[in-house]
Amino acid sequence: MSDLTQLIGGLPILSMITLLPFAGALLIALLPSSRPSLIRMAALAVSLTTFVLSLLMLPGIREFSSEFAFSEQLSWIPSFGITYHLGVDGLSGALVVLTTLLSWICILASFGPIQNRVKEYFISFLILETGMLGVFLSLDLFLFYIFWEIVLVPMYLIIGIWGGADRIYATIKFVLYTLVGSLLMLVAILATAFSHQAATGSWTGAFDLIALRGTITDPTLQALAFGAFALAFAIKVPMFPFHTWLPDAHVQAPTAGSVILAGVLLKLGGYGFIRFAIPLFPQAAQDFAPLIIALSVIAIIYGAIVAIVQTDLKKLIAYSSVSHMGFVTLGIFSFNQQGVDGAILQMLNHGLITSGLFLLVGIGYERTHDREIAKMGGWATRTPVYAALFGFFLFASVGLPGLSGFAGEFLVLLGAFLVNPMVAGAATLVMILAAVYLLWMYQRIFTGPLSPFLKGLGSHLTDVTPIEIATLAPLAAMIVAFGILPSLLTNAFATSVAQFLMYASGGLIQ
Amino acid sequence: MSGDLLTIAPLITVGLTAVAVLLSDGLTPNRRYAPIAVALAGLGVTSWILLQQSGGTVTALSGAYIGGPFVAYLGLLGSAVVAITLLISPDHLAARRYPSAEFAATLLFALCGAILVGASGDLVTLFIGLELMVIPGYILAGYAKRDPLSTEGAVKYFLLGSFSSAILLFGIVLLWGSAGTASLTEIATALTAAGAGLQPAVAMALALITTGVAFKIAAVPFHYWTPDAYQGSPTPITGYLSVGPKIGAFVLMIKIFLVALLPLAASWIPVVAILATATMTLGNLVALTQSNVKRMLAYSSIAHTGYLMVGIVAAGEGEASGIAGVLFYSAAYALMNLGAFAFLTAVQGRPGSTVQLSDLAGLGRKHPMLALLAALFLLSLTGIPPTAGFFAKAYVILSAVQAGGIASVLAIVAVLNAAIAAFYYLRVVIYLFMRDPAEVEVQVATAPLLRAGLIVAAAGTLLLGLLPGGLIEAVVKAIAS
Repeated sequence: MSDLTQLIGGLPILSMITLLPFAGALLIALLPSSRPSLIRMAALAVSLTTFVLSLLMLPGIREFSSEFAFSEQLSWIPSFGITYHLGVDGLSGALVVLTTLLSWICILASFGPIQNRVKEYFISFLILETGMLGVFLSLDLFLFYIFWEIVLVPMYLIIGIWGGADRIYATIKFVLYTLVGSLLMLVAILATAFSHQAATGSWTGAFDLIALRGTITDPTLQALAFGAFALAFAIKVPMFPFHTWLPDAHVQAPTAGSVILAGVLLKLGGYGFIRFAIPLFPQAAQDFAPLIIALSVIAIIYGAIVAIVQTDLKKLIAYSSVSHMGFVTLGIFSFNQQGVDGAILQMLNHGLITSGLFLLVGIGYERTHDREIAKMGGWATRTPVYAALFGFFLFASVGLPGLSGFAGEFLVLLGAFLVNPMVAGAATLVMILAAVYLLWMYQRIFTGPLSPFLKGLGSHLTDVTPIEIATLAPLAAMIVAFGILPSLLTNAFATSVAQFLMYASGGLIQ
Repeated sequence: MSGDLLTIAPLITVGLTAVAVLLSDGLTPNRRYAPIAVALAGLGVTSWILLQQSGGTVTALSGAYIGGPFVAYLGLLGSAVVAITLLISPDHLAARRYPSAEFAATLLFALCGAILVGASGDLVTLFIGLELMVIPGYILAGYAKRDPLSTEGAVKYFLLGSFSSAILLFGIVLLWGSAGTASLTEIATALTAAGAGLQPAVAMALALITTGVAFKIAAVPFHYWTPDAYQGSPTPITGYLSVGPKIGAFVLMIKIFLVALLPLAASWIPVVAILATATMTLGNLVALTQSNVKRMLAYSSIAHTGYLMVGIVAAGEGEASGIAGVLFYSAAYALMNLGAFAFLTAVQGRPGSTVQLSDLAGLGRKHPMLALLAALFLLSLTGIPPTAGFFAKAYVILSAVQAGGIASVLAIVAVLNAAIAAFYYLRVVIYLFMRDPAEVEVQVATAPLLRAGLIVAAAGTLLLGLLPGGLIEAVVKAIAS
C-alpha cells in the first residue's frame, strides 16, 4: 500500500467524508444570519474540504484486496444485527467524488442567486450532501434506507422554500412519489432481513449487504422484494411511467437544486439497482429484465419526443434527462460488461453534462428571469462566451464523439445489441432525436437576430462572470478528459462491474 | 401482606403524590409551580421504585396484581407522559385562569389507573384500572368549563366512554361466566381446554369486548367522540388525552386479546385486521381535509391507532415482537405527539385562539427554533428517519412481516397510509417555512416549563431514532415476563 493509503487507512475516512458536511451544517447553524457572506464562505470551505477528502480516498480504493475498501463497521442496533457499515469500491468511489464535486459547485453557484434565508439554505444543502454520500457508502440495508430518506427532507425544503412560483405543488409531488416507493422498499428490506433471520436463526448480518447477497432463494420473496426495490429506484431514476415528478421538480427548483437533482439524486436510483436490487435478488431481476428494458426504451424515445415540443428550457433538459437515464437502466439490465460499463459511464457523464446545462440555464435565468425558448434568439451576438459554453455542453449531451457523453451511450447500445438488436436499433435512432431537440433549441436561442425580449434587457444581458466560469470549468475539463480516455473511468470500476455481473448471474447458475 | 404492599408500592406512591399535590396547593396557595414541583418529585420517586421492580415478576393480592418489567416499562412510560404534560400545561392553564393543582392531581389519579391496567392479573382489576384511568380523562376534557366546545366534547367523551365501558363490562362478565374464572391466564387455559369452536356465550363476549375496546382506542368506526373531545379540550390536555388513555387502552387490549383471548386468535384476527385497515385509512383520509391543526392531529392520532393495531394483529399471529412493536411505538408516539401538542400550546399564547393551518404561515421566520422543533415532531409522526417515529413504524412493520399472512398485508397498507399521512404532516411544514407570514400573527408564548417540555420531547424523539437499541432491549425484557 502506498503511504497515502496507509495514512488515511488508519482514519475513519468514509465517516469523515460522510459526516463532514453535516458537521459543517451544525457549524453554520451557530453562525449569525446577519453575516451571509461568512455563511457562504463557510459552506464552500466545508464542501471543498469534503471534496479534497474524497479525492484523497480515491487512489486507495484499488489497493485493497477486499471488495470494499476503507470498511468501517460498528454495532448500532444489536437486537436486529443492524450495523453502521460503510465501504467503498470503484463504483461508489466515482459517485462519491461526483457528489462532492457537484456539491461545492452548487454551493458556489448559489452565491448570487440565493439571497433569501441564506443560512437555512446552506444548512439544507450540506445535510443533503451527507445524505447522498451516506447512500453511496452504506453497506447495511437499514443504514442505506435511513440515508435514502434523509436525502428527501432537505431536497423537499430546497425546492419548497427557494423554488419558483409553483414550488409547493412540485415539492409535494416529489416527496409523495419518492416516499411511496421508499416505504414499500422498507417493507422489502425488513422482509429480506427476517427471511435471513428465519433461515439462520440469528439476526447477525440480517441487514448486511455482503452477508445477504446470494442467500435469498425463496422465489416469491425475491419477486416481491425486487418489485419493491425496483419501484423505489425506478421512481428515483426516473423510469417511465414514474417520471412525472421530475419535470415539475426541475422547473421549480432553484438552479443548484436542479443541478444536484439531475447530477446526483437521479443516480441514486441507478446505483440502487446495481448495488442492492440486482445482487440481492438476481433471479427476480432476470425475470423482470424484459419489462425494465421495454420501459427503458420507452423512456428513451418518449423523453426525446416530449423534449422536442417543450417551450420551457428547463423542462426540455428535464425530459432529455428522462431519455438519457433510460440508457442507464437499459445498460444495467443488459447484464453484460459493455452494457453495465456503459450504464455507469452514462450515470457519471449525465451527472457532469446535465449539471453543466442546468448551471447554464440558471446563469441565463439570472439575467433574463425567463426560460421561454420562444422569447429568446440571437443571444450569441451579445454573450459569445456564454453561447460557446452552452454549445460545448450541448454537444456533449448530444453524444459527440470525443466528449464523454458518447462513450456511455455507445457502450450501452453495444450491450443492448448483444441482448436484443431490435432494442438497440430503436434506441440508436433516438440519438438522432437528441440531436434534433438540442440543436434546434440551441438554434432558436442563440442564433439569428437578437430577439426583442433580449434586446429589451439592454445592458443586463452580461456575459458569464469568473465565478460562473469557475463552476463550469471543472465539469468541462472532466467531460473532455473522460471523452478522450473513458478507460480512466472504466478501469476504476472494472472490479465493481465484475462483481456485479457475478452476483447478477447468480440466479442463472442455481 | 407487607410484601404485597411493597409490590404495589408504585400505585401507592402515585396516589399519595396526588394527595400531596392537593395539600401543597392548600398550604401554599397562589404558587402556581408548587403543585407541579410536588407532582414531579412524586413521579421521580415512583420511577425509582419501578426501576427497582423491573428485575423479575412478583405477584400480589392473590394474583390480581402482577408487578415486574412489564409494569415497570408502562409505569415509566406513563410517568414520562404525565411529567411532560405537567411541563407544558401550567402556564397555558394559568393564562386561562384554570387551576393547575387539581389538574396535576387528576393526571396522577389517571396514572394510578394506567399502572393498575398494566399490572392487572384478572378481569376485575383490569376493569377497575381502566375506569380509574379514563374517568380523570372525562374531567380533564371538560376542564375548560366556561368554554362550550370543551363542555360539549367532554359530554360526548363521557357518554360514549361510559357506554363503551358498559359494553366492555358486559363482555367481561360473559367471558368470566363461561370460563369460570376471572384470572387472565386461567381464562386462556380454559379456552384452550374447551377446544376448537366458539361457544355462543364466548362468541358474544368476544363481540362485546371487541366493540368496547375499539371505542376505547378510538378505532374506526367507533371513533366519533375523538375529534370533538380533542378539539374542545385545552390543547395540552388534548395532547395528554391523545396519548395517555390511548396507550392505556392498548395495554388493556394486550391483556385481554393477547393473554386471555389468545386461544381464540383465529376468530378475532380478521376483525381486528379489518378495523386496523379502516382506522388507518379513514383517519388519514379525513386528516387530509382538516384545516384546523388540532382537529388534524386528532384524526392523525386515529391513524396511529391503526398502526398500533397492526402490531396487535402480528402478536395475535404468534409473533411476540408484535407486542414489543406496540410498546416501542407507544413510547415513540407519546414523545412525538406530546411534542406536537406542546408546539400547538406554544402558538396559542392568546386565550381563546384556535390554530388554523393558515395561522402558522411564515412562523419559521419569526420563531425558527420553535418551527424547527415542530418540523422534527411532524417528520417523526410521518415516519422519516432518523426519528423515533420512523423506527417505531419499522419495528411494527417488521413484526407484521415476520408474522406473515394477513399481518403482512397490513404492513403494506400501513406504509401506503404513511405516504398519505406525509401529505398532511408536511403541509404544516410548508406553512411553517414556505409561505409568507400570516396577516394576523399568532401569539407565541414559551414559558420556561413549556420550553423544557418541548426540549425533553424533542430530545427523546431524536434519541429513539438514532439509538433505539436501549429501548428495544427494555421492551423485549418487558414482554419476556
